[in-house]
Amino acid sequence: MDKPKFYEQLAKILDVGEVKPDSVLRDFEAWDSLAALSILAMADSKYGVTIKAEEIRSVVTADQLASLVESRQK
Amino acid sequence: MKSIFKHKKISAIVSVVPKEEYRFDDEYPAFKLSPEKAKRFKKMMSLDRHRIAPPEVCSSDLCLYGLQQLLKDGTLKKEEIGALVFVSQTPDYFMPPTSNVIHGKIGLGPDVICLDINQGCAGFLLGLVQAFLLLEISALPKVVLLNGDTCSKQMDKCNRISYPLTGDAGSVAVIERCEDENPIYVDIKNDGSRYKAILVPAGAYRTPASPETIKLNEVEEGVMQSEQHIHMDGAAIFNFTMDSVPPQVDETLAFSGDTRDSIDWFLFHQPNPFILTQMAEKMKIPAEKLPNNIVSLYGNCSSVTIPLNIAQNCAEPLKDKSLRVCFSGFGVGLTWLTMVMNLGPLPVCKIVDYQAG
Repeated sequence: MDKPKFYEQLAKILDVGEVKPDSVLRDFEAWDSLAALSILAMADSKYGVTIKAEEIRSVVTADQLASLVESRQK
Repeated sequence: MKSIFKHKKISAIVSVVPKEEYRFDDEYPAFKLSPEKAKRFKKMMSLDRHRIAPPEVCSSDLCLYGLQQLLKDGTLKKEEIGALVFVSQTPDYFMPPTSNVIHGKIGLGPDVICLDINQGCAGFLLGLVQAFLLLEISALPKVVLLNGDTCSKQMDKCNRISYPLTGDAGSVAVIERCEDENPIYVDIKNDGSRYKAILVPAGAYRTPASPETIKLNEVEEGVMQSEQHIHMDGAAIFNFTMDSVPPQVDETLAFSGDTRDSIDWFLFHQPNPFILTQMAEKMKIPAEKLPNNIVSLYGNCSSVTIPLNIAQNCAEPLKDKSLRVCFSGFGVGLTWLTMVMNLGPLPVCKIVDYQAG
């Protein structure tokens, strides 16, 4: 996975200039159920993976989210 | 489950929306949204406006008005109505069936079948299947399919996620037999194991209404919800839609012998523009063939989004032509149906504003 690209896409969803690997997701102002939905959509359309809402809720940092998506890619 | 229906057609569609229209730009301060958050939400969901029925107007009122228009302008005669099928999740009463109430208000004779179907997003297509089945009764001239929902009454007005996306509407479709074979291909699927994804937890008999169930809880910042309101698991619905609908569309197109090219219009239920855009991309359906404007204009009005979609986007070409269409309705149940058919000509296919009294 091209992680810098993933963080760029995440930054766009969270409406911020930059997301770092150790950024805590729920600290972002734009972090809510709609942001989670956008992440699900991104995982599906750009990475071809399905993830569940509970799984998004269970990760803390951007890096953990990237690893979750990466682990699902075949 | 797949089926082919023959010698059946839709001969008229009238959709009815409340005249009360509200714009997101005017409403968002009530949702306690900062201008930035509001702007983001508006962009993500292409929000513009929606129609909300006043408190005293029920789904059945919207449907009844549409039916009265068809009777008034001579498109339909009372003696032609052999069945009233009312599809809704916001009936007038738990009992009697709302179709019976409408039967009485129109003043129909006793030889009429009245059926209520409790369904939402897949409800127009399920209602069509029911209408086709009823037309097997040779003594039954025509079926009047009424779809209506006032989902705005199933949520708190300050629910910043659900309320802006919702809309109230009703529609009436006349279904009858035709000379042409006109085969209609349909696939019907259900998964009750995921019923909790779209649920009104309390107010019926599993969890009766009580002072507890009517209390508002803040489930997320700015999202107030009671146990008697619709609970939607957005992520579960998204995953269901992306996983279940595309394969069903592919299967149904194979079943009918169609391709993406042979279909003129993909007229889908409209949950919100965001999901629909994702779906169109995933299914490689060109955006011009998959209208995605109903939520922006009227809101997500449950089973009425499909008839509204037809009337809003295809009324002109349907006036004197037949179009090859692929319908798909998906949601509460979880239930999903896809139907391929020739639609039209439909000389009567319109959207009207509800007038009380």
